[in-house]
Amino acid sequence: MSAAPPDVASPLDIPAQPDPARMRRERGARLRAAMADKGIEALVLLGNSNVTYATGASWPLGDAGRGNVERPVAVVLADDDMPHLFTPFVADVASRLDLDEDHLHGATYLDVDEGVAAFAVTLAGLVPPTATLAIDDVTGAMHGARETFFGEWPPRSASDVMGPARLIKTPDELAYLRHGLWITEQAMADVQARLAPGARQTDLTATFLLRAFELGAEANVLDPIWQVMPDRQADLPWTTHGDLACPLLSTERELERGDVCWVDTGISFGGFHSDFGRTWVVGDEPTARQRAQYRRWRDIHDAVVSVVRAGASAADLTAAAKQASGVDRPWMSHFYLCHGLGLDSAEAPYIGTDLGDGYDRRLVLEAGTVVVIEPVVWDEGHSGYRSENVFVVTDDGCVNLTDYPYDPYGD
Amino acid sequence: MATETLPDHKALRYARRERALAAMEAHDLDLLVVGRVANIRYVSGVPVLWNAGTRPFGPGAVLVRSTGEVHLMSTWDEGVPEEIPHDHLYGITWNPMNYVAVLERIGADVRPRRVGTDATSPLFAQLLPMAFPGAAIVDGGPALRHAKRVKTNEEVDAIRGALGVAEAGLAAAVAELRPGVSERELAGVFMDAMATHGVTTPATQDVVRITTAPTTRGAGRDGRDGPVQASDLVAFDAGVVADGYAGEVGRTWPVEPRRAGGWVRDLYDRWERLWERLLDACQPGAAGSDLLEAYEAAGEPLPQRPIGRGLGLGFDDPVIVGDLPDTAAHERLDPGVVLLLTGSVTDDRATVVAHEAFLIAPDGPEVLSGSPFWNRERGGVTT
Repeated sequence: MSAAPPDVASPLDIPAQPDPARMRRERGARLRAAMADKGIEALVLLGNSNVTYATGASWPLGDAGRGNVERPVAVVLADDDMPHLFTPFVADVASRLDLDEDHLHGATYLDVDEGVAAFAVTLAGLVPPTATLAIDDVTGAMHGARETFFGEWPPRSASDVMGPARLIKTPDELAYLRHGLWITEQAMADVQARLAPGARQTDLTATFLLRAFELGAEANVLDPIWQVMPDRQADLPWTTHGDLACPLLSTERELERGDVCWVDTGISFGGFHSDFGRTWVVGDEPTARQRAQYRRWRDIHDAVVSVVRAGASAADLTAAAKQASGVDRPWMSHFYLCHGLGLDSAEAPYIGTDLGDGYDRRLVLEAGTVVVIEPVVWDEGHSGYRSENVFVVTDDGCVNLTDYPYDPYGD
Repeated sequence: MATETLPDHKALRYARRERALAAMEAHDLDLLVVGRVANIRYVSGVPVLWNAGTRPFGPGAVLVRSTGEVHLMSTWDEGVPEEIPHDHLYGITWNPMNYVAVLERIGADVRPRRVGTDATSPLFAQLLPMAFPGAAIVDGGPALRHAKRVKTNEEVDAIRGALGVAEAGLAAAVAELRPGVSERELAGVFMDAMATHGVTTPATQDVVRITTAPTTRGAGRDGRDGPVQASDLVAFDAGVVADGYAGEVGRTWPVEPRRAGGWVRDLYDRWERLWERLLDACQPGAAGSDLLEAYEAAGEPLPQRPIGRGLGLGFDDPVIVGDLPDTAAHERLDPGVVLLLTGSVTDDRATVVAHEAFLIAPDGPEVLSGSPFWNRERGGVTT
């Protein structure tokens, strides 16, 4: 684990300091290429991460309850290099984003009928009536006004454009991502140092958040998980699919000596979400059997890593995991073996989901894609092991962005 | 928060569901399909893992008017109350057609004519008509807002609980206010205190802001998060989500009160005069626009952001903001509304802003938070 944010040139040419203006230019080019490809002339974006992608604006994300009402909105036109941003934080972003004044608008309230009506008037001034428009999300009030607001119903989906554009990260995006991972790992080291019998799960969260914000985190993006895994699955809640119930919410439960703790959380930095997953043992060394679980996890993980490269299919990764583990799905079956990471904590590509093998065979990795590899080893009667690492796909392999030890399991 | 994850209290669950069902009746909805986290909890009473930011729409829960039954997207039964049996749970899935199948099964028994949703998406605008053939898919937002805007006593208690934690976090952060500390460090102190009090979910993470204008502060401030200077005013917006309910309180403090010059005291005095007018306007039966007019009467320009927001599970009506004058004119502060009121005064040097939660009681507003104000600590209005 590094003592300072990494600043040396990597095989990926990740810059030491991200350049926000260059990042927005390069994203804009990807976005407009995807729009051209799909025949979309205007995008209206409501989802927080899509707005960040299109405009470069990032802010401390709040609870969804308020975030739905006071949310920035972006409008992207195929023939305009500069996005339009509607934001309640105008004063904040004006100095940081190099948007022309006529592209920077005050807040919109798309949860409220009056807000939708006002936005429709503004939009009509920006987007020609004949333009093919796509949108990512539709509020209730927009749904209510659909006959006047939308030319066609259902509207075209912005995910057809955002998905391909966001899949491959630019070097500046990777610089933000790496810095967010660094903050997370530093804060986690503090938490792990304080891990002891008697600590409450919420105390671990307190330590984590204090340190992460001190180090410059923009926001916490996932209520940190410190799930104590029992020996037997029967001691976990009932599930619809018969697999493990995980992740479960943290409480004021006190940790006990020997508890096996599955850790999972993330913060945001420059809009990028980090991801962290490790297994810890509270106040004790792992048993020989627990170390063996970790070894099996490493074998699965390493087998997957060995096949990751541009051109590999998602099915190649799941096959490697199956072969190394000897079980059919060595991951949580309500999730995946791997997921992408970027402006959302989990985003495309999703590998090993219930979309099935056919989907995984058609999903081919490209250089610059970020994948989080998170297999699970469950040893019924003796609990289990789970960790996750973040990789960037390259032409001939992948580069690990996670830099955190596997203590107390070794290596 | 406790040592295990439990459903919301029975009285809370049943009272809310009753209101939701009555609103469905009033708005002629046979089914309500909700995707927003707070609405899922409103109808189900089940705590959900917290993520920051907006989420795309998905069918998180379905409420059936004819039977009062709830179907819930949850892969496990932790925190699920007894009235939602295992066969009413459906797991998270990556194949949207699986959701269509789930919704089809629910619809097969009910044969809905009208289905309300709290939001939708291009994808679900296609899928919902497949799941409910022949039904009209309409905006269920008005029904939900109708149900949620007036709080039950149990809901007010939950908001009080959240406010208690928010105020503890605020006090901890204000105690660390000193020259050299950064906005994010103070936000970290707030988060630390909040979690130590057993709540790990903030309502807002934009907790601390230096409100002194860059021109007043001199050189060296580039965007956000420069260190706090002795002459700064700093606004704290402390919000938490506890047991699903939002509690929020805000105050502005001078970093070194002894050094606060005459203009700072004048600004706080303007704030006091505005606040007096706002409290006068914040009466049962008042219109939302009365609050906007209080700013005008005090001679203060309206801030860009809302000056009144409903507190509850997630976001609730009303939202009162200068940009939505017609909405404000039609809003009524009915008894049982919990309102977060914002007083904000600004000049070219700084802003003084405070947020306070009020329960609109039949005989007037009842303040729900009691954090100190700098201007009152020092002995009230000077002029």
